[in-house]
Parts: sequence; structure tokens; C-alpha cells
Amino acid sequence: MLTVALQQGINGIVFGSLYVLVALGLTLIYGVLVQINFAHADVVTIGAFAAYFFTFAFGGNYLISIGVALMVGAALGWLVNAAIFAPLRERGSELLPLIATIGVSILLQNAMLLWFGPIPYAFDSPYSNKVIRLWGGTFITLQNLIIVLVSALTIVLLYAFMKFTMMGKALRAVAQDRETAGLMGINPNQLIMLTFVIASALAGMGGAMLGPILVLTPFAGTSVIVKAFAIVIIGGFGNVEGTIIAGLLVGLIESYTTQFVNPGLTDIVVFTLLLLMLALRPTGLIAEKREENV
Amino acid sequence: MSSEGRPALPVLTNRVRISRRGWFLVAAAIIALLPFVIQDSYWRTNLIVCAINIMLAIGLDFILGYAGQLNLGHSAFYGIGAYASTLLIMKLGVPFWMAFVLGMVLSSMSGMALSIFAVRLRGHYLAIASLGFAVIVHQVLLNWISLTQGPLGIYAIKPPPDIALPGLPIISFGSTANMFYLVASFAFLFYLLLDQLVRSPIGETLTAIREDEISASSFGINCTAWKVFAFGIGSALAGAAGAFYASFVGTLVPDAFIITESFTILAMVIVGGMGTLIGPVWGAILLTMLPELLRGFGDLRLVFYGAALTLVVLFMPGGIVQAAQIFRARLGRLATATDAGMRR
Amino acid sequence: MRKHSAILCISIAASVALFAAAKAAQAQDKVLKIGGLFAMSGPGSYFGVQDKQGIELAIEQVNKTGVNGYRFEVQYEDSACSPLPATQAAKRVLEQYKPDVVLGEECSDATLAIMPLMEQAKVTLLNAGSSSIKITDPGNPWTFRIMPNEVMQGVDIATNAYKRLNARTAVLLYENTNAGIGNAKVFGDTFKSLGGQILADIGFGRDVNDFTAIATRIAGLGKVDVIPTYTLEGQGLRITQALAQAGVTKGGGGQSIQLGTIWLPFGFEQKAGKAALGYVRIVQFDPTDKRDVVQNFIRSFKAKYNQEPTHINAHAFDQILVIADVVRRGGKDSQSIRDIMATTKGFSGVTGSVEFDKTNQNIKMDTIHYMETLPDLSWKALGWN
Repeated sequence: MLTVALQQGINGIVFGSLYVLVALGLTLIYGVLVQINFAHADVVTIGAFAAYFFTFAFGGNYLISIGVALMVGAALGWLVNAAIFAPLRERGSELLPLIATIGVSILLQNAMLLWFGPIPYAFDSPYSNKVIRLWGGTFITLQNLIIVLVSALTIVLLYAFMKFTMMGKALRAVAQDRETAGLMGINPNQLIMLTFVIASALAGMGGAMLGPILVLTPFAGTSVIVKAFAIVIIGGFGNVEGTIIAGLLVGLIESYTTQFVNPGLTDIVVFTLLLLMLALRPTGLIAEKREENV
Repeated sequence: MSSEGRPALPVLTNRVRISRRGWFLVAAAIIALLPFVIQDSYWRTNLIVCAINIMLAIGLDFILGYAGQLNLGHSAFYGIGAYASTLLIMKLGVPFWMAFVLGMVLSSMSGMALSIFAVRLRGHYLAIASLGFAVIVHQVLLNWISLTQGPLGIYAIKPPPDIALPGLPIISFGSTANMFYLVASFAFLFYLLLDQLVRSPIGETLTAIREDEISASSFGINCTAWKVFAFGIGSALAGAAGAFYASFVGTLVPDAFIITESFTILAMVIVGGMGTLIGPVWGAILLTMLPELLRGFGDLRLVFYGAALTLVVLFMPGGIVQAAQIFRARLGRLATATDAGMRR
Repeated sequence: MRKHSAILCISIAASVALFAAAKAAQAQDKVLKIGGLFAMSGPGSYFGVQDKQGIELAIEQVNKTGVNGYRFEVQYEDSACSPLPATQAAKRVLEQYKPDVVLGEECSDATLAIMPLMEQAKVTLLNAGSSSIKITDPGNPWTFRIMPNEVMQGVDIATNAYKRLNARTAVLLYENTNAGIGNAKVFGDTFKSLGGQILADIGFGRDVNDFTAIATRIAGLGKVDVIPTYTLEGQGLRITQALAQAGVTKGGGGQSIQLGTIWLPFGFEQKAGKAALGYVRIVQFDPTDKRDVVQNFIRSFKAKYNQEPTHINAHAFDQILVIADVVRRGGKDSQSIRDIMATTKGFSGVTGSVEFDKTNQNIKMDTIHYMETLPDLSWKALGWN
């Protein structure tokens, strides 16, 4: 019994890391742009397909394909921002960009459906079936271990970037007060583009790592996106630490609900938690003081 | 039809102004005549689906466009109305029209509950909360098999019962023509109702709340009450749409109410023109008919759909209504120029 | 000059005559109109794409010689695997194309929604994809099904698990859909009535990607003899791998045997690898079947599409063969097709034989083939039917 409980704990942390990979980009975008991007999950899917084709069609190395996916994600992010968010930013509406991203998401998914077809691709990396035995009879696959480690590394790097580099500080300045940051000589538009590119690159990279775990179809993103949003809110919009904690929390909830109740009910549990958070503590687990312009 | 008094102008530019009542009569006439013009069952089915979507779209627009509440979970109210009314009829033997009203009431109450719950939430928070609500409702419908049958589905749902009025032949709703009249009449009625609301002081109150909630409350407006009201009305309409959906399609599965359905309805509102009442009607008609007309394109259908939505938001955020205004303005300018040219 | 004009006149006359003859011949080529209601958009297009492949191949072969002077023609409409779009697609095909017979759908919900329409229009609906018992049980004279339904499959595999595999404990693992729930329930009921024990009943959504948690839960249940799994290939692959990783199934060094139904295509093992070792399942299309019709099908499919056929391709192919058989025996319009199809006997297709009972369900059990996955990832026919 202890083995099972431990194993589900490990599973939960792995799930959590998966979600964090997707949610990080979202939270970044929200933090700096105050923008919800529904097409984010489709960037993850495209990253996964990019990695798949690089590995299987071109015979490339899997680890390099992660880099390829990262670049594809970055390029896509640049494109989406330039074509959609930048022009809409001037209008100041909260709703229009959100809807535009819904449109882009539908477009991307169905374009992928046309290109790749609906039949799932069996994407296996050299690591996805290697099992590492841990203590107490528990185990983790090498792929999952890589995911956890890469997630952790990404988080640390991101954190360091935001806190210690000039660019990171500039990003935070733009997040706090775009106009004043502009007055300080920071070019907000360039920084916003940078945010988007970083976030989408993360998504693409996430896709490459998730590909061997996901059921790879053009709709793979939709299975993750709404939960990713839930995590971003539970953790606090724009808050990196909160997202991490929320992601791990949701992952653990999923694995333990699967164990003791029913896999079909995990969504209900997670979203009820979301609604509770919104009711009791809308700013998220780690409240970051955000001032509202009155 | 009446034309307002205007100075005498050459016939070329005598723009006939049709009053509001005039347009309503035109609409009623069109509804009455459609089943005669369109005789085959396939297109009539599409018309009925159109009418249902109009109900959904104007309801959402009331919440979103008029009260400014970012509701991304409209599919939940749609589903609650459908399942509530159907289960009341099939499990408890409640007569159709009573179940219909109760379905609307239940949807309305859920809408109001969500609104009260989210009363402090702004913008994106409300958006995600409503989305979360919709996910929960869908999952409950899916998993509570003993109540809803879940994915196994409910079948053989009967259409509304025949109406036998003295002296007239029995009206049976198994006929697509009669079903169309029924649903379209309700859509029309709901439109009239919302039109009245919107043009009354209530409409102004909602606009005030939408534009600047903080200022509005400093004027003594009870923002919470009005937001709840808007949600209540909008979701009631969705509940009615749900009841009609069930009794028309005859089959009910939870996946008919997944969250992407909310996005479809949202698209209808945006493409038609958010914040106007006639906009969602056009949006609903266009986005219901377009996939049918595009059937020859197979998979490209949805690519067009996504592209259309994105492009509308980028270039014509006011939707069809805005496009129509621009068009009319250009025509007007053309007429005036011709006018001036003619006068010489 | 006169000679030239004479030759010209003769050639024109000849061409006209030839043209007229060709037109007359064409007019004699009767067309049998077949409506195809399949999902072409959304996730359900997984089925539609494969159905279309099978149908196109069959039509090509049938039309080489025609049947009783008939050419076959198919009009596809997108039913999207869901009741309302299926209703719209059905009405459209019935009204605009006026087919003599209709094929479809794969998803039980959609099939159940369109059955009343077909009955009303008096057009035969030939189904080879939906397993729900509700499709034939109530007895609709206009709906025929050639694949074994959930009761036929479920009772058979549960009985075989108990008797031939000596299984006494089982864990039900299924996707939360009509077909998943229905099939799992039949297995569970049958297994219990024989004296077996169901240790866990685990349903999951179609959006679950990682099955490690589920595999862990099963691993903690003690001795599990069989794990009947009802899911499509995408999730099926992940489940099989997860179960092996958790050391539950034979492929991972454990003892449990995964049991499956027809949903996993040929080629699954190559994707799952070692994890699929010992998997026992029902297949409808057995590529090791030596019958000519099967081997010819495989050969021509590979030649046309450059890939291995799956059971969905085979079902679709057989549907056309069944219709061809009916037309050969005199079927020519909706009513005669219905009446003659009901008397189908001794028909042998790629997936097995066809003979309909009075609810128009194909009752031949040789459509249920059992396979076991060998260490070299090939299939071994168990010959239980």
C-alpha cells in the first residue's frame, strides 16, 4: 500500500511537471501582456509534431529535436504576436484578443488535421520505455525523469532571468506598468515580442518532451489547455512560483483521485478547486499585489 | 411601413425609412413564408438549428455585449436546459411545457448562481471561472450515469406534444415545418423581449456597468444585482434553446455540450456584432449556414471557420453589423455625391 | 476534292454513330447509389478516413466488371460522429442524393440518431462500426449490422477468459464512451455470472494521456488475471506501455493478460513493442487468414495505399461486398435491397461470414477471431472460434 501511495506521489509530480511546462508560457504571457492565449496548447502540439518529424522523417537525434521544436515554437510565437496581438493591443479591449486566439486555435488544429490526419502518431523517444527502479518498489521512466529535470531547470533559469538580468527586470517593469516603463526608455513592444517568443519556445520544447507521452493527434493540445489555465489561475495569474506550486498540486490531485476515486472525476475535482480558489482567493495561491487602475 | 417626413428630393435618393415595427413585421413575414419557400427536410433542419442558435447567441450577447460580462461557459446553461427538461419529462412524467419552463428556470438559476459566485471577479478571471463551470457541468453530465445516462445517451426523445385547438387541424411537431414555426416564434419572442429591455432604462444601466463599473456603482447602481439579472436572462434563453434541441434532435449526449460549443456561440456573437441585438442574429445565421454550404470542402470547412473568426476580430471587430454600417455609409456618400451631381 | 469531302462525311457519320452507340451503352450502365455517412471532421475522422479507403478500394474492384450491369457510386457526407451533425448529414444525403442504400456510422450515438430517419425514408442502413446492442435489439427492419455487437463479443471473450485462460480476477479498463461502457459492462456481467471477480472498474476520458497513475492503481490490486481494455489505438498504446512499465502485464514481467477487442488495428504491436507481449484479443480482420478473399484484399490494399490495412478498412470493404452480393441476387432499389439483404446466407467476406438473424444482426461467430501477440510481435491465431 505504501508503494502504491509513493508511486502515485511520483506520478503526481510527473503529471505536475508536464502541466507546469505548458502553464509556464501561459503565465509569462499573462504576466506581461495581461492576455489569455488559447492557441498556446496548439503550439505545444506543433512542437510535438515538429520533434516527431525531425526524429522519424529526417532521422535526427531526439534530443536535438527538442531544440528544433523550441525554435519552431519561437517562430510561431513571433508570428502570432506580430500578426494578431500587436495590432489588437492598441484597441485596449480585453475580449477581442482572447477571441482572436480562439480563432487561431481552431485554425491551427484543423490545419494540422488536414496535414497530419486524425490517426494518432506513435511517438516514442529512446527514453520513453526505459524504466528506472527506485526505492520501495516504485519506478519512473527515463522520459518522465527527463521531463521533471528539464522542468525544474527551466524554472530555475526563468526565475534567474526574471530576477537578475537586465532584460528580466525590464520585463517585470513592463508587466507592472507599461507606460512608465516606456518612459524609462524601455521599448515595451520589443519586450512583449520577446515574452511571446520565450513563452512559445517553452511551449514548443514542452511539446517535444510531451510527444512521447501524449496521444499525438492534432487535438492533443486541447486535452491540456483548460487545465493549464486552471493551474495558472490557481497559482495566480502571472506568478511563476504560484504556477509551479499549482501545477504540482494539480498533478498530485490527479494521481490520487485516480487511485482512490475514479480517473473520470479528476476534472471535476480540479475545476471545483479552481472555483473555490476564485471565490476565496482570486489572486491565487501566492498573492501578488496587482494594482487596478481605477 | 412609414417613411419619415423629408424635404422633397429626386426619387433617386428618396431613402425609405422603415420603422422598427416595420422591420419586425418583415421578420415575422419571412418566418411565416420560409417553410413554403424551403420544402426539403434537410434545409428545414438547418433553419431550426439556426433558430436555436439565434436564441443562444442573443442570450450570450445580452450577458457579454450589453452587460460586459466575459461569459465563456454558455454551453453549460444550454446543456442544463436540455437535460433538465428531458429528464423531467422522461423520468418524472412532467408535461412538456412545464418541463420547458422548469428547464429555463434551472438554467437561469445556474446562471445567476455563477454570477453571484463570480461577483467580485473581473475580466479574465470571470472568463476562466465560467469556463471552469462549463467543464464541471459537462463532466457531471458525463459521469453521473445513473441520472443522465452519460455517454450512453438518452434516445427516442419525443417532440413537443401535439396541439389540438378547436376547429383547427391538429398541429403535430413531428413535421419540420411546424417545429420550425415553434422554435422560430420563440426566438422571435425572445428577441422582442430583449429588444424592449435593451431600449429601456435597464439597457442604459447595463451599458453603464459595462463601460465603467466603478463609476456606475458610485452613482448608486447596484452592479451585482444587474449582473445577476443579465446572467439570469441570458442563461434562461440558453435553457430554452436546450429544451428545443432535445425535443428536436431526439437524442441527447453530453458531448453536445462540450466547452467548444461555448466558443461556437461566442463566434456567432462576435462575427455578427457584439453589443447589438441584430448582430448575433446574423452571426448565428451565417455560422450555422456556412458549414452546411461548405460541406463540399470537407476538412477545409473548419479551417475557414477559424480563419473567419480571426480575421473578423482583426479587421472588423464590430462584425457584420459594422460592415453593414460602413457599407451603408459608403452608399449614402455615393447617393449624396450623385445627388449633388444631379442637382447641377 | 470530292473524295476528301466524301471521306469527311463518312468519318463524321461514323463518329456520330460511335458516339451514339457509346452513349446508349453508358445509358445501359445502371448506377447503384450508395450514401456514406462517416465522420470527416474532428477527432471522429479517425474512422472516416479509414472507412473511405476501404470503400474506395472495393468500389474500384467492383466497378471493373460491374454487378448485374450496375456500377457503384458513393456520396460521402460528414456526420462528425455526433447526433445532430449526423442527422443533418443523413437528411442531406437522403434528400439530395437519394441513395439506394446507406453505409454508416461508426459511433453508436450517431448511428442511433440516424436510424429513425432511414426507416422513415425506407432506405437500408448497413452498419459495420457501432457495437451498441441498441442498434439491432429493438429490431429495426431497415438497419443491418455485419460486425458482432457488444453482447456477442463480450459474452464470448469473458467466457473464454474464464474457461480457456482460467482467469478468476479481472480489472475493467475502458474509455468513457457509449462503446467503452457498453462493452465493459457486458464483460463484467458475464464474468461475474461465471464466478469471476471484478477487482476494479476504471473508466477514463478520451483526453487522458498519461496512464501511469491508472497502471499504478492496478498494480496495487494484487493478482489480476486479465485486464479487458476497451479503447482506441492512441490511448491503447499508452495504456499497454504503462501497464508494462508498472510491471503488471506479461510484457513488463508481470502476470496479467490484457484482453482487447477489435479496436486495435494490425500494426499496434509494432508501435507498442515488447509491452504488447501476450495480449489476447478479438480481431475482426485476421491477416494470417489464408482465405483468398483476405489475401487478395491485403495485397490490393497495400498496392493502392502503401500501408497495412486495418479492421476499419476491412469492414468498409466488406460492406461493399455485401451490397454487391445483394445486387447480384437481384437487388436494385431500396426495398428489394432490404428484402434480399435480409436473406444473405453463406456470404464470406474479409472479416468473416455474414448471415443475419431476425433483428438483422450478423450472427456468424467466425467474425470473432482471437489473436495472441507473440514475442516477435506477430499474431498467433488462437482458433477459439
